[in-house]
Amino acid sequence: MAEPMRDLVQIRGLGKTFESRKGLLGESRRLKAVTAVDLDIPRGKVTGVVGESGCGKSTLARLVVRLLRPSEGSITFDGADLQQQSNAGMRRLRRRIQMVFQDPYSAIDPRYTIADALLEPFQVQGVRLSLAEARAKVDELLDMVRLGRELASSYPHQLSGGQRQRIGIARALAFRPDFLVLDEPTASLDVSIQAQIVALLEQLKTELGLTYLFISHDLGLVRYFCDRIVVMYLGRVVEILPEPRAKPRHPYTRTLLDSTFAPDPTQRRDISRLTGEIASAYDLPAGCAFAARCAFADETCRAKVPELMTDAFGHATACFHPLN
Amino acid sequence: MSAEATFTPRRADFRRSVAGKVLSTPKGAIAGAYLFLLVLLAIFAPWITPYPYDAQNLQVASQAPSWAHWLGTDEFGRDVLSRIIYGARTSLSVSTTAIAVSVFVGMVLGAAAGYFGGLLDRAVTTVVDLSWSFPEILLALILVAIVGPGLHSTMFAIGIAYLAQFTRLTRAQILSLKGETYVEATINLGASHAHIVFRHLMPNALAPVIVCGMLATGDAIILEATLGFFGLGAQPPVPSWGAMMSSGSALIFKAPWIIIFPGLVVAISVIAINLFGDALIRALDIRASLREV
Amino acid sequence: MALLEVSDLSIDIAGIKPLDGIGFSVDEGRILGLVGESGSGKSLTALSIMGLLPLIGGRVERGSIRFDGIELTAQPEPALRRLRGRRIAFISQNPMTSLDPVMRVGAQIDQVSRLHLGLDAKAAAARSIALMERLRIPAAATVYHHYPHELSGGMKQRIVITMALSADPDLIIADEPTTALDVTIQAQIVQLLMELVRDRGVALILITHDMGVVAQACDHVVVLYAGRVAESNGVKEIFAAPRHPYTKALIRCIPRDGMTPGSLAGIPGSVPSVAKYPSGCRFHPRCPDVLKICPEAVPPLEPQPFGGAVACHAVAARVTHG
Repeated sequence: MAEPMRDLVQIRGLGKTFESRKGLLGESRRLKAVTAVDLDIPRGKVTGVVGESGCGKSTLARLVVRLLRPSEGSITFDGADLQQQSNAGMRRLRRRIQMVFQDPYSAIDPRYTIADALLEPFQVQGVRLSLAEARAKVDELLDMVRLGRELASSYPHQLSGGQRQRIGIARALAFRPDFLVLDEPTASLDVSIQAQIVALLEQLKTELGLTYLFISHDLGLVRYFCDRIVVMYLGRVVEILPEPRAKPRHPYTRTLLDSTFAPDPTQRRDISRLTGEIASAYDLPAGCAFAARCAFADETCRAKVPELMTDAFGHATACFHPLN
Repeated sequence: MSAEATFTPRRADFRRSVAGKVLSTPKGAIAGAYLFLLVLLAIFAPWITPYPYDAQNLQVASQAPSWAHWLGTDEFGRDVLSRIIYGARTSLSVSTTAIAVSVFVGMVLGAAAGYFGGLLDRAVTTVVDLSWSFPEILLALILVAIVGPGLHSTMFAIGIAYLAQFTRLTRAQILSLKGETYVEATINLGASHAHIVFRHLMPNALAPVIVCGMLATGDAIILEATLGFFGLGAQPPVPSWGAMMSSGSALIFKAPWIIIFPGLVVAISVIAINLFGDALIRALDIRASLREV
Repeated sequence: MALLEVSDLSIDIAGIKPLDGIGFSVDEGRILGLVGESGSGKSLTALSIMGLLPLIGGRVERGSIRFDGIELTAQPEPALRRLRGRRIAFISQNPMTSLDPVMRVGAQIDQVSRLHLGLDAKAAAARSIALMERLRIPAAATVYHHYPHELSGGMKQRIVITMALSADPDLIIADEPTTALDVTIQAQIVQLLMELVRDRGVALILITHDMGVVAQACDHVVVLYAGRVAESNGVKEIFAAPRHPYTKALIRCIPRDGMTPGSLAGIPGSVPSVAKYPSGCRFHPRCPDVLKICPEAVPPLEPQPFGGAVACHAVAARVTHG
């Protein structure tokens, strides 16, 4: 088994339930966004999380950076339990854990110049900079994300989506964090810009020794970029692939793979077997959440939730009838 | 690595600034000019009025407009024009002060309710919704009845009557801004509540609320005139447009100018405020955010 | 003769020319992929074919759109209205906004057959339910009575496709029909569209930015860049041997199995905005094969010796020399 210190982040039994109330006195509905997630994120590697709507990957990302508080479970970052941190302690930890958001178009306050936006991390963390130091920092951060220094005095609306996303990355890197959580950082961008950003992320990872948690719905991209792949469905981890080419064992992962079209007309997929809609996270069934759509489901599957079992190679599956 | 397209900074251009945009439209320019003139008249009243506002001259009472008295005289022989100019002082100062305070308090309440949510939000919203359901004039009348007539109570009544608007608008703005990604990003950097509210939420919420306040000033002028009409506003001899209209109503057939001119000035001033506010909304491009109250 | 032939299509919107010299053709029973990133003009092309340019203040400046021998650019609005929905159907990107939220979905599908085929209420309902079952909408008779907000995104898109099919059109234009949907649902919808084309012989123009979808579903591909056609060819040829530098770069931008880490590069720069198109070839500022002539002259769309067409000076130079 992996030594504790080799993993930068350890997540145990993580769960998050949202309650919403209909009106002032109405009944409340419970949304179990994330349930019983156990996950280790090894240092220096890219861990990918894939899934479709309602799988909980965005919620998981926000739990890891403490934008949301867990309903249950724990998150340990480099030995420090995030639940036990004081406000000041958490603020210090935020120099080491950062997040890059999905929508570059609203990730920067439209009233702030780029320089203001890049200096805000220092302002928030109480680091005083002289005018010269501030200018140097802004230049340094712009260089890091391969943007021209003349952009410092412009406003977000004058930049393209790709440029704005680079600014988002630069802000996250202000304090040279160890760990970056990326929530679909390229989903709103054109394919050619997406590739630029991914290439940048690859270079930064090597240059700065970063660990990534990469959230995406694009399995093709995740298979290219990530070292390990976590597959989520309706709030639970259903499979962990120790390396991108590992053969999927969970039927859902197989479905996801079959639905991801390769950019190669000679490799057309047979998708006649795909059926069903994704269930609503408000009304989770009793057993395995995927049973309703699974060709191999039986009574056991509908009655009990399968546990995540890991084999000797680090391949984890939560299924009573795994493939292969 | 990749060379981004070269970028040229946009030069500051008056035509494209907010002031430029407002003043370049006919309604913005004309309304703006009128309001500017009105404010000037109000400020310099003692130096420019042909007669003091309380100079009675019973020999020329109720006289039609003439070269000596451009807008005629009222039942006490006082110059209508001078009284209207002094009345501007009353109306403008009462309305703008009352609205300014109301905006400030409303923003604080609305921001607190929107940002912290929970019980505070429910409490503020309930109170605001209750007062929202009363017409302003009714609220104002009740308040003045309790506190007694006079300039200060008028200001108080106007302030309370419009509080609901600004609270709701600010709260709506804060709620929608709270969900913006850049707010999440700033929390993620480790920002305190104060930083988020004062650096990101308030500045972005300010514009619609300020414009709303401006439009409410127009309403407040009418409200002040209404209260004055019933004798509940500024007490004589301090002139107010509403009180002038009230005393002029008795002589409406014999000396119609006593009621017409103050009435006209009220109407034109409020129209000018609305036109100017409209042009401002367009220039600031905040039509959408004003819909969500 | 192709069912739809577009040639030299150029449009004008308030003085700007976002589309210039667009040309391609679609045959019955075939799927044409219209591919491009944002700003490429793919949606505008669809609007032009449907005759809906006046809605956004635009007009066809030159060129022709021939549908089954009819010159669409010369038709008056009443004639176009008879074609829309009946012979040319349109599926838009966002099923959320294509459906009337206060009308039951069944009634919305009925509208099409009642309007274009003159069916009465009962016959229209029967036809709609039968179509819904063909499109594998489970419990079709019940779903018929639902409102749009009661259905999932994938289901709504199926309803929209049912509406498009209701009058038995010859041509369907689908503008990014799966972009707003989850991956597994997207696959089902693509599968559905492919079956429809095969079984009913309709022609389909599939507008998308997703090269994976193109590879899976399309027979023929037209690549657009900044309002012009960069390249067109059969799907196998486009992927195996792309000729235009933009097509080549675009295909390299897509992560695929077997790529070594670090090989994903992107295309430097960004798509030019409509107001500031570069002179000559619109791709030249970002092109690795740029020649001196590129900023000076617009490259014509030239048919190539073994099929397809490319608009590129560098390619033309190679062909004449080679």
